[in-house]
Amino acid sequence: MKLSKIYKSAIFLKSIFVVSIFAIFFISAVTFKHISLLDNSSKWVNHSYDINLELERLMSYIKDAETGQRGFLITKDSTFLVPYIQSKNKINQSFAKVKKYTKDNPAQENNLRKLEFYISKRQNYLSLALHLSLKKSITDKEVKEKLVIGKQTMDSIRNQVDKMILFEKKTLKGRELYYKDTIKVTPIFVYITLLITLMLISISYIRITRDLEKLQISNNSLVVLNESNNLAEIVGSFGSWQLNVDTKEYTFSDNSYRLLGYEPKAFFASQENFMKYIHPDDLSAFRDASSKMIENGTMSPFTYRVIRKDKKVRYFRTTARIVTNKSGEEILIGTTSDVTEEVLASLSLEQQNIELEASNKELVAFNYVASHDLQEPLRKIQTFVSRLADKEYDNLSESGKEFMTRINNSVERMRILIDDLLQYSRTTKIEKVFESTDLNDLFENAKSDLLQSIEEKNAVIKNEKLPTMTVIPFQIQQLFANLIGNSLKYSKADIAPKIKISCKRVIAFEEELIPKKTKDKFYKITFTDNGIGFEQEYAEKIFILFNRLHNKNEYVGTGIGLAICKKIVENHKGFIFAEGKPNVGATFTIYLPEDNH
Amino acid sequence: MKIFIKFDFNTVCRKVLEEKLIKHNIKYRILGFGEVDVLERIPSSVLSALTEELKEYGIDIIENQKSVLVQKIKDAIIEMIHSPELVNVKSSVYLAEKLSHSYGYLSNLFSDITYTSIENYIILQKIEYAKQLIVSSDLSLTEIAFQLNYSSVAHLSTQFKNVTGITPSAFQRIITKRREIATKK
Amino acid sequence: MDKDYIHIILADDDEDDRMLFTDAFEEMKINTKVNTFNDGVELMDYLNNPNAVLPNVLFLDLNMPKKNGIECLNEIKKDDRFNDIAIAIFSTSSSEEHIEETFVLGANIYIKKPSDFTTLKKVLSDVVTINWQYYTSGLNRDNFLLRL
Repeated sequence: MKLSKIYKSAIFLKSIFVVSIFAIFFISAVTFKHISLLDNSSKWVNHSYDINLELERLMSYIKDAETGQRGFLITKDSTFLVPYIQSKNKINQSFAKVKKYTKDNPAQENNLRKLEFYISKRQNYLSLALHLSLKKSITDKEVKEKLVIGKQTMDSIRNQVDKMILFEKKTLKGRELYYKDTIKVTPIFVYITLLITLMLISISYIRITRDLEKLQISNNSLVVLNESNNLAEIVGSFGSWQLNVDTKEYTFSDNSYRLLGYEPKAFFASQENFMKYIHPDDLSAFRDASSKMIENGTMSPFTYRVIRKDKKVRYFRTTARIVTNKSGEEILIGTTSDVTEEVLASLSLEQQNIELEASNKELVAFNYVASHDLQEPLRKIQTFVSRLADKEYDNLSESGKEFMTRINNSVERMRILIDDLLQYSRTTKIEKVFESTDLNDLFENAKSDLLQSIEEKNAVIKNEKLPTMTVIPFQIQQLFANLIGNSLKYSKADIAPKIKISCKRVIAFEEELIPKKTKDKFYKITFTDNGIGFEQEYAEKIFILFNRLHNKNEYVGTGIGLAICKKIVENHKGFIFAEGKPNVGATFTIYLPEDNH
Repeated sequence: MKIFIKFDFNTVCRKVLEEKLIKHNIKYRILGFGEVDVLERIPSSVLSALTEELKEYGIDIIENQKSVLVQKIKDAIIEMIHSPELVNVKSSVYLAEKLSHSYGYLSNLFSDITYTSIENYIILQKIEYAKQLIVSSDLSLTEIAFQLNYSSVAHLSTQFKNVTGITPSAFQRIITKRREIATKK
Repeated sequence: MDKDYIHIILADDDEDDRMLFTDAFEEMKINTKVNTFNDGVELMDYLNNPNAVLPNVLFLDLNMPKKNGIECLNEIKKDDRFNDIAIAIFSTSSSEEHIEETFVLGANIYIKKPSDFTTLKKVLSDVVTINWQYYTSGLNRDNFLLRL
């Protein structure tokens, strides 16, 4: 896997070329060296021949001198002395030549020095013998002696010359051998290198071909992509465009022209040309948005109107983003879509919403005013009844007193009903002020609102620490009070109510009760009591307005309290659930989103 | 611009009192606890002039002995509440010792004159002090509850609500909003 | 002291409520003098007279024709002459937001009109005695908030 990775990398291709170039350099260097070696060795052969020739020549000159001398000694004829004297010069010349040839070889130089010694010794004896022979006979003992030494020296010279020739031959042979070796190894080496280079180049050729194929394939798919994009633009009625930030050059896709009612490339792509079609009322907003876009590098979706070629007004929405390409150019890529249908739909929806909101507001106001104004006469009825009871009670007959009690009960019930209704309509009022609030404070407030009945019933209320949240404080306090109140109201007659409140931070999708699509974090607050409970089948019904599970003579209630709870929780985008078991107790679970906005 | 001030009622009163007494050439000795020892008899015209002038500053000359004692009880209660070292002292014991009367006597006298009981008055004053602390200090409710010798914040909150009808946090909110409005003007 | 009574004013457009209010004070032991006005305009006309005897406690109904309680409250709070008057809102509404709003605007007391006479007497008597405490005990009236 690693190998294939290397093979695919661009560095691989480059290094192959570098290696090949080096290989070619190497081959030419080796070839050059080989040729110069060949040249050298022929020079050396000639050189050795020259030396040997000169040595032979030297030898023959010495022999000439000797022959001359001998002739003179025998004949005493002075003509024999001519070659002897000539040869003396020639010997010197020849010797100088040999000396020149051999100056780069220390061993031969040494030999030459010995030769020089022998030659001079020989000449010395030759001349000595000549001088003596002028005075004495050839047979004279002294002459003879000189001749013998001369002969011996001559032998030494011959030996020395032979030695030198032999040496030269040996050197030549050694050189020939080395040359042969080199000439044998070099071609193999060159050949191998050449093969490797060829192989490398072939690999890179394959690579290049393959890359080209790939390029071709991606080019093909690019063409397809382009076409399908064009098609998509037509179907989705949007157009794309690009702006090169540095050169200020625009490119509009074909459909960008069609959106304006033109054939593709019907006009030169520029901002000025495009802006001709923008609705005059939206022109300044468009300018602001586009200058901001160039400043920030992005453009959040911006909607504006255009007037098309056929004078129809359409809504366009443009969004854009700056992208830096691999050449380092900043290119603004944008899409413009025709959102006319969407805008018109949302406009009509908005209108409907406004109407709905207005009618809702009216309804709430009606509800509020109705219950508020109903309270006034009711309060007075109660007050006057209480005055009557205070002042005139003793003057009433027994049935009169009975009626009084019944009036009081009915009026009290109506008052509670109106109070609850009023509360309910308040929780549906549109204005809601969310504030960061410590729920523990709200809980304590709710408890102190109910202090009297908590003490009457000897209720034990235990709560875990509650969080600080952004809520509508009055409503949450109301929620707590209603839930505690509910538990107190539906407690068992003979057992002191126990209410346990626990609180936990949970993730929505881990909770079975919460609809799955939400991902938020919630606070889960549960109120558990030991009251009379209820059948689980009524768990949803109890939150419905005016829905009661008990006869109103058994338990005082209007069926509004829990509906208010549900409303409050919904106002906070939360959920409320009830769970009950008859004669065991009830549990109310509230989920309030950690973040309301 | 806003300037925050802190003042000591006692010093202010003493200063005003001294000025007025000197103005009317009255020889005096201030005994503390709202009691001034007048060393000579004052003519009734001077006394009524003094009474009028002091009234402007909200200082009343108390005429009868019972009212004097009630005032002393009130002063002692305020002192008790405002001094951290007296927080744990039982009020009945403290008042009886301080004013050298039985607590029963003080209690009855107080109820007769003020239409309220000493206990209620103490609670009222404690809540007033709590209000003052909520408004003017950075103390949290927990710290205020501790300083006023309440067993818990809940206890303070409940008593606060019983006396004023609103919760401490609502009180704080209202005062803060009032100040915001005042600074806007 | 010649003025040994507590002066009380009520502005309420409801005749029954005015009657119950005066009855309640009549039945109380406390020495009081009660004046009533039918609406906010009448009330402000009275108060704005420089010679008017200013009340110790002023009870304001919120829902009145011509000039409602909130408008009166705003006008009274603007005039330093009325600084010593304790202002009590006397209304049917018990909406928490409403109550807080009136306190913020400068009301000292908020009373939800009780639905029986005994409670009414108790509440009014509490207002008077607590207000009296504020007068006699040198308490900071800026902090005087009471809800009954």
